[in-house]
Amino acid sequence: MATKSTTAERPRVAAEPGRLTLVCVLAWLLPGAGHLLQGRRGKGLVFLITVPLMFAFGLWLQGRLFPLEWSDPLVFLGAIADRGIGLPYVLAWMADAGAGTVTAASYEYGNTFLMTAGLLNFLVMLDAFDIAQGRK
Amino acid sequence: MPQLPASHFLYMVVYALLVSIVFATLLKDARREQLKTGVMMFGGFIATALVIGWVMYPFPL
Repeated sequence: MATKSTTAERPRVAAEPGRLTLVCVLAWLLPGAGHLLQGRRGKGLVFLITVPLMFAFGLWLQGRLFPLEWSDPLVFLGAIADRGIGLPYVLAWMADAGAGTVTAASYEYGNTFLMTAGLLNFLVMLDAFDIAQGRK
Repeated sequence: MPQLPASHFLYMVVYALLVSIVFATLLKDARREQLKTGVMMFGGFIATALVIGWVMYPFPL
């Protein structure tokens, strides 16, 4: 009788470098896409909904998408975190969103949501990389 | 654009909820384990925030 295979039972084979790169780039561009590409539909869909939702919430809370400023290390690190979300960042940048309203009560919350969404996507990307490497 | 609610607690709850969902999904594979981890993490976030809030209450701004 055929039974449904679990994650632990799936064969763990490392992907070739080209596919590995594709998985990582897609995972960065669209949160959860790296998982979806590798057949992890459940996880992929959760990331695809929650991480961009967090980013959108950050924009709604009038957070700021920081510029890459070398002169201010904290702003620079914030900018790296912001860019971790991939395509949603590019869309927000093109729509001139994320200017940030410093006087808004929710400004710091907005920044936190935006940066956390990017950092979480870095983790999601690493998880997709591990799966592609056959480690998970 | 809808009016922003002026509730810091609400922002914290939404933040804790989203982070818990992502971490639980990342860390566990089985649905039941994910649910358990997510609920525990979310509860931990909220409880810790409330405790720290009360500890900081006597401090002047």
